[in-house]
Amino acid sequence: MIDKLRRSLEKLRQNEDQMALVLSLLIGALVGLVVVAFILLTGRLSARMYPAGGAGWRRFLVPVLGSLSTGYLLWRYFPNARGSGIPQTKAAIFIHDGRILFRTVLGKFFCCSASLASGIALGREGPSVHVGAGLASVIARNLGLKPSQVKALVPAGCAAALAAAFNTPIAAVLFSLEEILGDLHATVLGSVVLSAATSWVVLHLVLGDDPLFHVAGYQLVNPAEFGVYAVLGVVGGLGSVGFVKLLLHLRQWFMRLPKSTAWFQPVAGGLTVGILGYFVPEVLGVGYNNVEKVLNGNIVIKLVVLFAVLKIVATAVCYASGNAGGIFGPSLFIGAMMGAAVGGVAHMLFPIVTAGPGAYALVGMGTAFAGIVRTPWTSVIMIFEITRDYTIIVPLMISNMIAFFISQKLQKEPIYEALSHQEGIHLPTGEARAQGDRIPVLQSMRSKPITFSPDAEVGAVLSQIKEGGFDAWPVVAKDRLQGMIRNSAIVDLVAAGLSTKKLSEVLDGSSSDGQAIADAIPHVHPDHSLSFALKRMGASGVNVLPVVSRANIHELLGIIALGDILDAYGVMKRANGKEPAAE
Amino acid sequence: MMVQPVAGRSFLATFALVLVAIAGLFAIDMFLAKTDRAESHIEATRLFEEGQASLKNGDPLKAVDRISDAITIERDNRDYLRSLASAQLAAGESADAQTTLAGLLSSNSTDGLANLLMARVLVREGRAADAVAYYHRAIYGSWKVDVEGNRRRARLELIDLLAQQNSKAELLAELLPMQDNAPRDLTARVYLGELLLRADSPPRAADVFRGILHESPSNSTANLGLGEAEFAQGDYRAAEKSFQTVLRLAPDDPKGRHWLDVCRELLQLDPTIRGLASSERWRRSLTLVRQVRNDVDSCVREDSSEELKEWASKADAALKTPAKEPRTADDDFEANLDIAEQLWQIRQKECQPQASNDSALALVLKRLAR
Repeated sequence: MIDKLRRSLEKLRQNEDQMALVLSLLIGALVGLVVVAFILLTGRLSARMYPAGGAGWRRFLVPVLGSLSTGYLLWRYFPNARGSGIPQTKAAIFIHDGRILFRTVLGKFFCCSASLASGIALGREGPSVHVGAGLASVIARNLGLKPSQVKALVPAGCAAALAAAFNTPIAAVLFSLEEILGDLHATVLGSVVLSAATSWVVLHLVLGDDPLFHVAGYQLVNPAEFGVYAVLGVVGGLGSVGFVKLLLHLRQWFMRLPKSTAWFQPVAGGLTVGILGYFVPEVLGVGYNNVEKVLNGNIVIKLVVLFAVLKIVATAVCYASGNAGGIFGPSLFIGAMMGAAVGGVAHMLFPIVTAGPGAYALVGMGTAFAGIVRTPWTSVIMIFEITRDYTIIVPLMISNMIAFFISQKLQKEPIYEALSHQEGIHLPTGEARAQGDRIPVLQSMRSKPITFSPDAEVGAVLSQIKEGGFDAWPVVAKDRLQGMIRNSAIVDLVAAGLSTKKLSEVLDGSSSDGQAIADAIPHVHPDHSLSFALKRMGASGVNVLPVVSRANIHELLGIIALGDILDAYGVMKRANGKEPAAE
Repeated sequence: MMVQPVAGRSFLATFALVLVAIAGLFAIDMFLAKTDRAESHIEATRLFEEGQASLKNGDPLKAVDRISDAITIERDNRDYLRSLASAQLAAGESADAQTTLAGLLSSNSTDGLANLLMARVLVREGRAADAVAYYHRAIYGSWKVDVEGNRRRARLELIDLLAQQNSKAELLAELLPMQDNAPRDLTARVYLGELLLRADSPPRAADVFRGILHESPSNSTANLGLGEAEFAQGDYRAAEKSFQTVLRLAPDDPKGRHWLDVCRELLQLDPTIRGLASSERWRRSLTLVRQVRNDVDSCVREDSSEELKEWASKADAALKTPAKEPRTADDDFEANLDIAEQLWQIRQKECQPQASNDSALALVLKRLAR
């Protein structure tokens, strides 16, 4: 039996795809269970620290003591477990070959649980993502996988964690692709989906089917409401920028303090929360209970504005001072309060044409998430999954996009990139990657290249290509690309005394079959990116490729050379790729 | 592609370790979830009880707050949701109560208490016609405890509403099943009899009161009800006896005194009572004309309608007849009744203030009109 199992596992090891599939399932299950344990443990700890009817002094003392103890542990034993965990996860993927230490996972789990239970105004979702990514990394490395495979499994861990933390499997997949990898078309999609789905199943097995928030069904009362939702987008965008700038500014300030103070810096967060929480208990913790109340229209406008402002301050100080915890949850809280305030005012002024404040709180959550975390699609799907309310999707999209646009304009660097930047780590942003990939071949190709006729003799061609600097040349007959003749082939033929041979006799890709010529002649299309062209050059071993039409592979539109690509990126001038003078 | 195993731990061992971790974590999670549910239940119960106490102490806003908190912990607890709706209703938050109840009823439309509460909300909003349907669903819906008692209470509430709305036919329709399954409680049966009277069903009311008096002959309220039922059926002599019994049992009963006075007056006035001598009938018919003529006297002016003036003149003419019984007493009797009746009808149309409906004169003329 054991032998059979061993043989099966050995067989599995040999197949990379099957291995990824099985590991995605295992990681999904394991991460799901760990995140559920994290949620439950934090909840129970919190109930112990803040018993029902407990004295008011607890609200001051518990966050201070919590931040002091976890601050010391983080400084002494788990330095990588501070903060949210999203920047650390991205750094692991893009810089450290997916490497996250088990010690960091342990530190994140326990310190964060204690910190959140003590009332620190941060969220559990970011740390869950870090824990999930860490577990995926630990498992993959212990199984002896290659760094590329480890890197591919880390997003699966992230998705599994978020699926369990928010009970939002689709948003978890989107988040892993949109934020963690910065690429919605990433090749790891399959394992990310599998992992998120498995984690979600585990969550349901243990905790049952319960959305994060129960919300009364809302709908658009009047088309004029789109205007109010647009205003909410503006308010949400400005609020998000304010929050992000405050957080980054405070963090910079804390980082300038002497290193020796690092272990008790988190106390600043604890003190802030303690003082604010003593007078306004809603500031404590992530505050999902209050979010649910507001979502159901239970609001007083002055109070929700106060809650939003205090939460922005408390979360910014807690995060900047180095406590363990994320900003997802607080983003939702801040967004819900801002939305309720805008909705409350709108409903007061135009009661007939507007829905209740709860509807705006719902949209506000997504708006703040899109503005702060800068993942607009994830936020739309997440709000849908959290509330299971489809009717509010269109206003949500409008509001999200406005907030996202304002946030992008007023805060150039997304929060996680900026946080990494402060640590001296330069993460590739999704926007930057997309920008690099967006330069098309069309923009840099030579549209009127030198071509040779299939009837040209090899000797004559050699004399023309001597100074060209390209590895191959297009051979064209009657406006049809017949193939590419390589320099090396011509030199070899001349050396063998076959100078009078015609090109058509020595051409490889002279077939009329489209697939055959496509296989024989490495080529690109005008809409391909330069990076794709570069990859294809590397694979085919030439420094020039024909650019052909997608509709007709024999139609030569131009050529693209290595020098052209380097030139497009500003690395070198076209001089290196100078063509010979046409005869 | 070959994967290089890490030195020190075999591929199989790592795999096994992950599987063991999953199994172990599953057990831990189940334990934590169980603990969480138990502790959450305790907390939810505490909040719910606080809410109930606040509701009893007349602080429905606090009750709404506490019960909402309990619901946040145990979202599917229908008892909490029903209590929340009650508290919202008590706090005047009818719209919120309606939303809460709509949620409850969408998952179980036969929920008796939820339907009853929804009916109350609608009554509060002045939508009595819509409320009736919810009352019916409450009456025929499902109840967790004391099914019959709750259904009867729901029906009584509906009956109250219908009585207030003066929807006599619907009221009687609801009262008949109540009469078939008469409650054992005497107070409830007295109330049933009173409602039957309001539903214009005095014979059934009389049956109910007689049933009560059979068990409890000294029940003054039942005697009063019986008297009213007999009175409504035109049996004034029986009614007089019943009202006399009421005053014997409760000498200070103002209602009994009033009805007895009316009854006596009516017995003195009504010319259609059986067994009266012809002369007496004639004399009473003349008294009736006189009382009606006196009643309209202040109303007859220059600008009064010709019809009123004409019938007032006829009444005056009738009143000039000799004090002794004329030979044509029977004919005059009919003519007098006709004059009194016509004049009364015109008075009702043209004169202010309107005459009291329960005065002896009004009751006699009403009877004549019937």
